[in-house]
Amino acid sequence: MTAPAPVTPRHDPAPRHDAAACAETVARLRAHRQPRALVIGNPNTGKSTLINALAGTHLKVGNWSGVTVEKREAQLRRGDQTVHLLDLPGAYSLSPHTPEELITRTALLDEAPDVLLNVLDAGNLERNLYLTLQLLEFRVPLALALNLVDEARNKGLAVNSGVLGEELGVPVVETVGSKGMGTAELLNVTLVGAQVGHALRYPAPIETAAADLEHRMASLQTLPPHAHRYLALSLLEGDPSLRGRLNATGHAALVEAADVHRAALDAAGLDPLIEIAEARYARAGEIARRAVPQFESKLTLTERLDKLALHPVLGIPLFLGLVLLVFRLTFTVASPFVGLIGGPLQAVLSGWAVGLLGWAPLLKDIVVGAVIPGVGTVLSFLPTLLVLYLAMSFLEDSGYMARAAFLADRLMRGLGLDGRAFIPLILGFGCNVPAIYATRTLERRTDRVLVSMILPFMSCSARLPVYVIFSAALFPRAGAWIVWSMYLLGMAVAFAFAWVLRKTSLPAEGGGVLLELPPYRFPAWKVMWHHAARRTASFAKRARTTVLATVAVVWVLLSVPAVSGQAFGQVQPRQSLFGEVSQAISPVFAPLGFGSWQATGALVPGFIAKEVVVGTLGQIYLGEQAVKAAPLGLLAGLTQAALGTWDALKTSVQSLPGIVSLPSFGADTSTELKSPLAAALGQAFTPAGGLAYLVFILLYTPCVATIGALQAEHGRRVAWLTVAYELAIAWVAAFAVYQVARHLL
Amino acid sequence: MGDVTLDTLLPGQVAHVVALDQAHPLRRRLLELGFIRGARIEIVRRAPLGDPLQLRLNNTDLALRAADLVGVRVRL
Repeated sequence: MTAPAPVTPRHDPAPRHDAAACAETVARLRAHRQPRALVIGNPNTGKSTLINALAGTHLKVGNWSGVTVEKREAQLRRGDQTVHLLDLPGAYSLSPHTPEELITRTALLDEAPDVLLNVLDAGNLERNLYLTLQLLEFRVPLALALNLVDEARNKGLAVNSGVLGEELGVPVVETVGSKGMGTAELLNVTLVGAQVGHALRYPAPIETAAADLEHRMASLQTLPPHAHRYLALSLLEGDPSLRGRLNATGHAALVEAADVHRAALDAAGLDPLIEIAEARYARAGEIARRAVPQFESKLTLTERLDKLALHPVLGIPLFLGLVLLVFRLTFTVASPFVGLIGGPLQAVLSGWAVGLLGWAPLLKDIVVGAVIPGVGTVLSFLPTLLVLYLAMSFLEDSGYMARAAFLADRLMRGLGLDGRAFIPLILGFGCNVPAIYATRTLERRTDRVLVSMILPFMSCSARLPVYVIFSAALFPRAGAWIVWSMYLLGMAVAFAFAWVLRKTSLPAEGGGVLLELPPYRFPAWKVMWHHAARRTASFAKRARTTVLATVAVVWVLLSVPAVSGQAFGQVQPRQSLFGEVSQAISPVFAPLGFGSWQATGALVPGFIAKEVVVGTLGQIYLGEQAVKAAPLGLLAGLTQAALGTWDALKTSVQSLPGIVSLPSFGADTSTELKSPLAAALGQAFTPAGGLAYLVFILLYTPCVATIGALQAEHGRRVAWLTVAYELAIAWVAAFAVYQVARHLL
Repeated sequence: MGDVTLDTLLPGQVAHVVALDQAHPLRRRLLELGFIRGARIEIVRRAPLGDPLQLRLNNTDLALRAADLVGVRVRL
């Protein structure tokens, strides 16, 4: 009889890690009073939702130092143990390609984890297992959360978690984060059941090389022992960022040793990168086939939705319609509350301040003139931001944003950007601030800076009222056209500026473009709300200093009399330092057709927030006094504030049905036509000068909130460089428009 | 024999990976995502503006530009 036919070898379960050391790490975890757990998973596995369900109100969100990536942590008590849970950014592998993935790898090496919790998408086992197999290279106890099992079942996938656990040698808990299913058990299993599982065995030449590198590390004692096997394999794969890190920390000899192995393997016709990836996928496929016995392929909801969302003809109009809907939602729902904060609420607070601080006139002036309007300016951004962030979270978490990037990719190619860069630009039409933060999703730093620098040319919703009133005053019959042309001009300038930046200071880095199209999901409301509320709050925290300081400076300028014989805080705008400064600057704008001190003066508040430009124009041209606050009793104030809030709420809800209608600027224009301000502006500006003024308003400078965001994301230099460039571009563009228009109009 | 580059496929076609170019800018990333020898890739559709292309692999949808598909050799 000949030798028996070879049986397909079951995976060799012999542990790749030292058994005694493994037992010790498990024992240490169970005895540890304050174990550290790292939560790791691919993007789009519902990890955030699961962590929210697990940690609830204990979740603390901060930032990783040096980068603007969220750091989510929680302390949870279980019996006599207090677990320190650290949620790491989503990653497909532990060879980092983005700053976020780098954080995940660094944490695994440096945070001395006592246990790892790997979250997997049950509907996409094979690819998720690639990361799991990498985590098994670490000599750290591991537990798996098989998440989204409900969704997988709907797709016809029934994962046998018992088999999965057996194959990997670690415990598996089935979870549905959005329903809180399995979370209690998950915490238990992570602390009590986690095991150092079966690490994968690679082809012999790779294992020999890895063993040699591990041996070298063992004698070094400078690298964390729990990571030796992972480090050895990554070095053989030639991971560039790991090589950099080890070279920088005095381990150049190790990198050299790895290179010798790589050269030898290469000479033998083996590319470790391919060998390792193939071994992992072969094993992942094997496990997936065993753990998912039945699989019926169904046309999924995602495929059906994509047929529409990515339709050759309907896809793009649908996208534009959605964008329009988001802005109208933002505008109609938020603007009554913006008005409430700027109007009734500020009036009430000022009233109280006047009543309470009557004994200290200077203090009263500071509070009423600078502090309350300053805080009010910061707060008045919040309703817009909250609504926009909610809408954005919905589009992001549902998976639609990825489709938008797919649709727009071709457009952005000419600028050396990919489709993902289109999303912040579109958001910019709503408000530049969240748009700047949205550039974080871009992989390359030069791309993030480039998009942020051109973003302020996207005409945000706060600039619209200025266009509307000027078109009413000067171009009553072509109002809508003027407004649309401003938006188009902003985009044209943005793209031209991007092109110039690419040619000069921010060259495209090249490299391929890979977009993910995750399955559509209905976002969890709680998570969306958390995201939006926290992003809004973080804006308030970051921008408040810049905004408050600027408001205070303008107030001082307006209060200091430039003419002798007048008291501080008791001057007309023209006689204040503000008037003097405006007058002094105004000749700069004469070639643009609006060289009066009034026109110049109204530009200054636009630097703080574009919303206030129209108000300032009114103040200056109609001689309207800034609302003089009258002292207000506690009760009267509360009543007034409550009435204002009720009104805002009512207006906001009532306007909701209107958002699906098509926008029309014509209606706005006709009502504004009768306003005295429009009439005054009609007197003060020539049509050509007015047009140039609008162009200037569109382009001249980001508001302080946007400058604050730019500074937070890219540093002071980029922020102020952007301001300088944009002032210059605005001047040139307005000059050109005026010179052409005055011959035509 | 029979090898083509992935950019030459039409929507609806299915192919199996033969190799990635050594110099492919996304080589590492694609290997990690499962562009290994024998992997089954389906071209789902082209974006409305002609590029990029939507691919399906291991039950996952990805999009790559035609220019980046040139470096992926496949067999039908």
